Amino acid sequence: MYLFGVSIASSIPRSLSKAVRMGVQIHKLTVLLLCGAGACLAADVPEQRPQTAMVRENNRSTYHWQAKSIEGTAQLLTLFCHSCRIGKASDDVPLVAVLRDTLGDNNPENDRVTYVWLLTYARLNAGQRMLSAVPFFYWRVGAGSESGKDTAPLMDLTAPQHPVLSEISRDLLQWTTLDPLTMPVRATSRAYRTNALDYERLHLQEAIGYLREAPSSGRPSELTPLELDTVIARLELRKRLLGGLASEREAARFGEEAGFADERIRSRNWELLRQCAERTGLLFEPLDVAGTSDQYAILWLRMGGAPPTPGVALKPVWKLLNIKDPWTDERVRNWRGPVFTRALAEDGSLAQDGSPAVRQARLVPLAVYSLKYPKLPLLLVDFRDKLRVRRHEMTQRAINEITSGVIGISHFTNWYYYVAADIYDFVVSRHGAAMDAAARLDCYSQFRIELALDHSLDPDLRSDVQRRVESLAINPLEGSVDREVQVAKTRYALLDSKTDSGGPLAERIDKERRAELAAFGESKKSRVVQTLLHDGTFGLYTQRAKSQGTNLAELERDRRIEYQLNFLDSLAQGGPQPEVTHDSSRIRASVEELSGLMTQVRSQEIRAHAAAVLAKLQEISADAELRSDCSFALAALTRNAEPARAASGRVVAALPAGVAASGGAAAVK
Amino acid sequence: MKRLVAFFAIVTGLACSALPQTSDGNAPARRLVILKVDGLNADLLYRTMRERDPATGKSRLPWFAHIFDDNGIIFENFYTRGISLSAPSWSMLDTGRHTVIRGNVEYDRHTGYIYDYLNFFPFYLGYARKREVDMSGVEVLDRAGIPLMIERFPYAQILQSFQLYQRGVSWTTLKHALERRFSSKFLFATIESTGAPTLDAVLAQQTEQDLLTGLKEGKILYLDFYSGDVDHEGHATNQRAALLEVLRRLDGLAGRIWAGIEASPLAPETLFVVVSDHGMNNEPGIFSQSFSLPDLLNSPQGGAHHVITNRHQLQEFKISGLDPLVRRVITPSTASFYLAGQSGQYPTAWLDLDGNERAAVHLRNSDLNKLHILLLELAKPGLPSEVRAAAAMSVEETIGRHRSEWTRTADELDEELGALARAIAERKATVAQQPRSWTAAQHDRGEDKAARRLQEELQSWEREHAEYTSYLAHVRALLAFRPDRDQPFRGSIARLIPENSLGDNNSIADLEHYIAGPAASGPVVDANGNLDESRSFRFVDYFSLLVSQRARNNPQAALSPQPIDFIAARLPDGAVANGPDCQHAYWLYGNEQRQLLVLSDRDARISLRPVQDLTQDAEGKIHAHRLNWQPGLPLRLFEDARLNLPAGADRGEWLSGWHSEGEWLNAIHRCHYSNGVIGVIEELSPVQDNVPGRPGTPPLLLRYERRKRELVQPDFHVFAADHWNFNVRNFNPGGNHGAFFRISTHSVWMMAGAGLPIKRIEAPYDSLSFASTVLSLLGDEPPMPDRVVRLK
Repeated sequence: MYLFGVSIASSIPRSLSKAVRMGVQIHKLTVLLLCGAGACLAADVPEQRPQTAMVRENNRSTYHWQAKSIEGTAQLLTLFCHSCRIGKASDDVPLVAVLRDTLGDNNPENDRVTYVWLLTYARLNAGQRMLSAVPFFYWRVGAGSESGKDTAPLMDLTAPQHPVLSEISRDLLQWTTLDPLTMPVRATSRAYRTNALDYERLHLQEAIGYLREAPSSGRPSELTPLELDTVIARLELRKRLLGGLASEREAARFGEEAGFADERIRSRNWELLRQCAERTGLLFEPLDVAGTSDQYAILWLRMGGAPPTPGVALKPVWKLLNIKDPWTDERVRNWRGPVFTRALAEDGSLAQDGSPAVRQARLVPLAVYSLKYPKLPLLLVDFRDKLRVRRHEMTQRAINEITSGVIGISHFTNWYYYVAADIYDFVVSRHGAAMDAAARLDCYSQFRIELALDHSLDPDLRSDVQRRVESLAINPLEGSVDREVQVAKTRYALLDSKTDSGGPLAERIDKERRAELAAFGESKKSRVVQTLLHDGTFGLYTQRAKSQGTNLAELERDRRIEYQLNFLDSLAQGGPQPEVTHDSSRIRASVEELSGLMTQVRSQEIRAHAAAVLAKLQEISADAELRSDCSFALAALTRNAEPARAASGRVVAALPAGVAASGGAAAVK
Repeated sequence: MKRLVAFFAIVTGLACSALPQTSDGNAPARRLVILKVDGLNADLLYRTMRERDPATGKSRLPWFAHIFDDNGIIFENFYTRGISLSAPSWSMLDTGRHTVIRGNVEYDRHTGYIYDYLNFFPFYLGYARKREVDMSGVEVLDRAGIPLMIERFPYAQILQSFQLYQRGVSWTTLKHALERRFSSKFLFATIESTGAPTLDAVLAQQTEQDLLTGLKEGKILYLDFYSGDVDHEGHATNQRAALLEVLRRLDGLAGRIWAGIEASPLAPETLFVVVSDHGMNNEPGIFSQSFSLPDLLNSPQGGAHHVITNRHQLQEFKISGLDPLVRRVITPSTASFYLAGQSGQYPTAWLDLDGNERAAVHLRNSDLNKLHILLLELAKPGLPSEVRAAAAMSVEETIGRHRSEWTRTADELDEELGALARAIAERKATVAQQPRSWTAAQHDRGEDKAARRLQEELQSWEREHAEYTSYLAHVRALLAFRPDRDQPFRGSIARLIPENSLGDNNSIADLEHYIAGPAASGPVVDANGNLDESRSFRFVDYFSLLVSQRARNNPQAALSPQPIDFIAARLPDGAVANGPDCQHAYWLYGNEQRQLLVLSDRDARISLRPVQDLTQDAEGKIHAHRLNWQPGLPLRLFEDARLNLPAGADRGEWLSGWHSEGEWLNAIHRCHYSNGVIGVIEELSPVQDNVPGRPGTPPLLLRYERRKRELVQPDFHVFAADHWNFNVRNFNPGGNHGAFFRISTHSVWMMAGAGLPIKRIEAPYDSLSFASTVLSLLGDEPPMPDRVVRLK
């Protein structure tokens, strides 16, 4: 039984206008609203499906980058899924695009990754937005927006702090202005905000998921491992309230460690699920979905198989698996759902590739799990009860909406409620319940898109699982996966068309460069002021340098200074005798280059930084030549207190028309 | 004049020879700095050390390469002796003697006391409450009279980090670590959500800080730093990049310590050592899979035991799993044949699963099970008279069979407890005379700790006296018991069968024919009116049961579906007919047709014998059929391409011949099971031989201490197949250790400083060489002089 939006919407003729379709949908939705609760409580009745399908061998899809030059000074790198499935056909699907500002050379030291686009992300339509503000409305209506005409990036990596401030402002607005108003205002505003946040997180996670599979190397057509780690980290940090405040180095470290942590979680869940299957007499099979490996798994029940041996208390294990004991379940005894035939080895295990199979067995699929949820395998599909997961999600959401939206329980005045709720969550999660709603959402979002791109699973199994996963959509802002994949192509084509010389992307890059030039060497205080000004004017004000022919050269110099400072910083903080850990000629070359570049810098901030790092290196090094180089560089830095840098008129504030130009002429550094 | 010159020459010569000399002939080092790394596999470290990082133009582990490859000594083939577990391995490294600690947790079979060597929390808590002063492992070594290497240094000259064999707790380090944990930097990192350092990481930072300060001061002559990071990461993941990251951090730490040494006043006299206790069976792309022994032993097929472990199963999914003081967890069987609802009183299988590639199994004595079952039958009022009479006779016969042994045990234990009572009285008097407060100078000399140590030992003695006395009462009661052949038994079973006790170890015959419960139809009487035991009880043959286990879920082609590789048990001395040479014999059971005997003689020579169908008769004699050497035997030596035999030697002949331990180590150390032959002996040999006792210990108390060590020996050890493990507490998919696989035993030993030569040592050595060599370099008497490695 598929009662939800996707199946209903698919019956509406495409020729109907948007408005008519919306009207029909709202009508349908009224009906849905009335029968929703009942439908939610109804257990799924498995369909009669005579089946003898096998899961085919999983072939790893390849994700690959395609690079397109923008005016020879930047690159649009697009991540494609090779031969991924779209609808019924297979094709290369563009998924994520990043903009790398190379300044037109082959030197990776002065490259910057500035923007990330998630190509499957479509602009929301008005109907979706309205519905998302309806409290207790947990259905997706239609397949989602068809618009692929939006080229706004998912994230601007040059200013990760901006979303932090806007999020905080929105929270403040909610707490101080909307919450004290009447209940309908509070409930609708909270419902909208929750849906919007979830929707953003869904797409952030989707982008992270793709990027985790992306290749990385030092080749010009790919991101370097460090760039990839940093991009992933920035996206991960975006999901956290103050994550945007992390520095570049912290972000890179965070990205690398987050990757290690993901792998630890995955392998741990893999083994946990395998152990649970072993104890309960089920069969465990890892699933490779859309080129990913061991990130999902399915549990099978062998028809006519022997139940687990007695003596062991299995109640906690079933709780952990979040499914009912199939050995005592009437629904399994009278199973009418899909059945698959698989080859078994002599010892009753699933025959592996190349190992001899001794007999065929009929298997009932019980459940599909994500192995990426932080603490335990997360149930994604329960083949005996299609609405089990959805019910859980809806209940969680409803509780939150009742407490914070309807009743208006506040974190500040009713903190004891939240303490009690946290204790409850802790206790329940210690007993094997997945209580982290955000992490659950991450897992669902990644699975639905990977399933949509997959072409290696058995088609029957995939389509069955896909139907069940679609029912997990409780956010009215979400679109159907197939629609998103279609939008990706449209969006990529649009973005691609904007890479021409003098086109919108080139213009955007130029603005970014001028802003970067203006920000170089700013004091911390000044940076804070500029950020507040930018956010206070809703992004209308940004400090930028004047547009002039020397900008590229100056930017190149600034970035090289930053690069060398970062490198020498890492040595200075890395412990004693840097010449032991790094080739000393490389360190000396860096000191020399920094010394040369610093003659043109006036910024006291940068000069102080350079002096400090050189002094530190001189102190910790045991290499006489390196110490001497540092000494010379420090002396040169002192001698050139008045740098030769021509500074006049370089930095101006770039204000759009109509905005008062009081701050227009920024201080020259 | 010539006489005068000769006189001076002789005097000078004598003076020189009187000066302390080291193993390399140099003047001895004065200060020792040890970086102790848990679970660092030597292959991984050395390989990474010798890889070049294109980004830096240097080694991937530049400090290790600089300190040890370029300026020190690297032991390329250094192995854990015995099983590759932390508690036994560190005990050998820290003492330089054969181990008396043979697992990460040990159970006293008679009293049920648990020696939990890996749990720090009870120690910290006890120390804070002034109830404890040393980690559990140190207490055991103290009682056995085995000194730690650090005891060569006066108390004030020692800076010991947090580790398994730890004396005292440095509260200053803990305090400073907590201050760091709640610093503004830490809080900001938490707010930023970029991952604030864990308490472990903060503690490591503070320990490092203390060590570097100690180096600077120059007054402290023993400093160490213990790191468990590599072990934790290796258990958690098999990602090469993640492991490399941990190694990099370790490399940086080694660099900072080395720089600290170089900048300190005692730099030329400082010996810097890096050592690891064992390796890690961690291979990229392969998850380590767990096989649940508790589940098997809970099941009717495995005997339906109530099972004791020292940690909760799946502890992360239980509230009780948060208990940091846990040391005994009982997992009841839901299918128990005769002890349903009595899991708290009669858990009958005790497991040491920590370490994971190897499990030690203690089962309640099969005859205690039989007596317990028969007493339950005898207590039934409606039992037919002929069955009651037969059951009563069987009880008498069983007690009679053990009478002489139990009587001897009881008499000896009586004597020992008497000696213990006298020692308790003396100790009470000593403790009463101790001052109540201590001066700062006394604190600095550690006198308060020494006093607390005496007090703590007194408490242990009192507890033990009570526990063994209770056990003894049960043995005496059982010896005096005469079952009524006509009337139902009305006494208390708990008075006869001790609760939470396993009794004596099972023999091989017992384990092959283990009484797990009553037969489904109850007791059966044969034509002669005797109990027909074969039809009255359920039996389990644990050897064939364990190796016949197969995993239903084994999705990795690299892993065998058979999770258990082999079982190892000691055979009774003199029970194997192998001529006068054989002193001790050990049995490795692969299956009925593939078994191996490891024999050792009085000269510590070793020989192997392939056998099949080994059994033990009623008299205790061992019978087995000889087998020709062939592939597939336990330890897989015959077929191992890396077996290094003298040129022209026949494999079978050589393996069956008697050779010294050194010859064996040279021959086998590169094999898949590395030094397994020697490891089996180290792990299973009679432990009392390794308990020297403290100087001046009265003979009865020494016998008591030796008995206590014998009582923690399990019935048998189970070894997991490659990439399998027995972990049930949580999940170690990255890798494990515990077995004899080379990857699990190949450990790190590197030294530099104090004028040591620069060299790579290819000859194989094991844990016993470490402390003796290091102490020799410090100019001290090595605990085992024949184990000192000559460095020139």
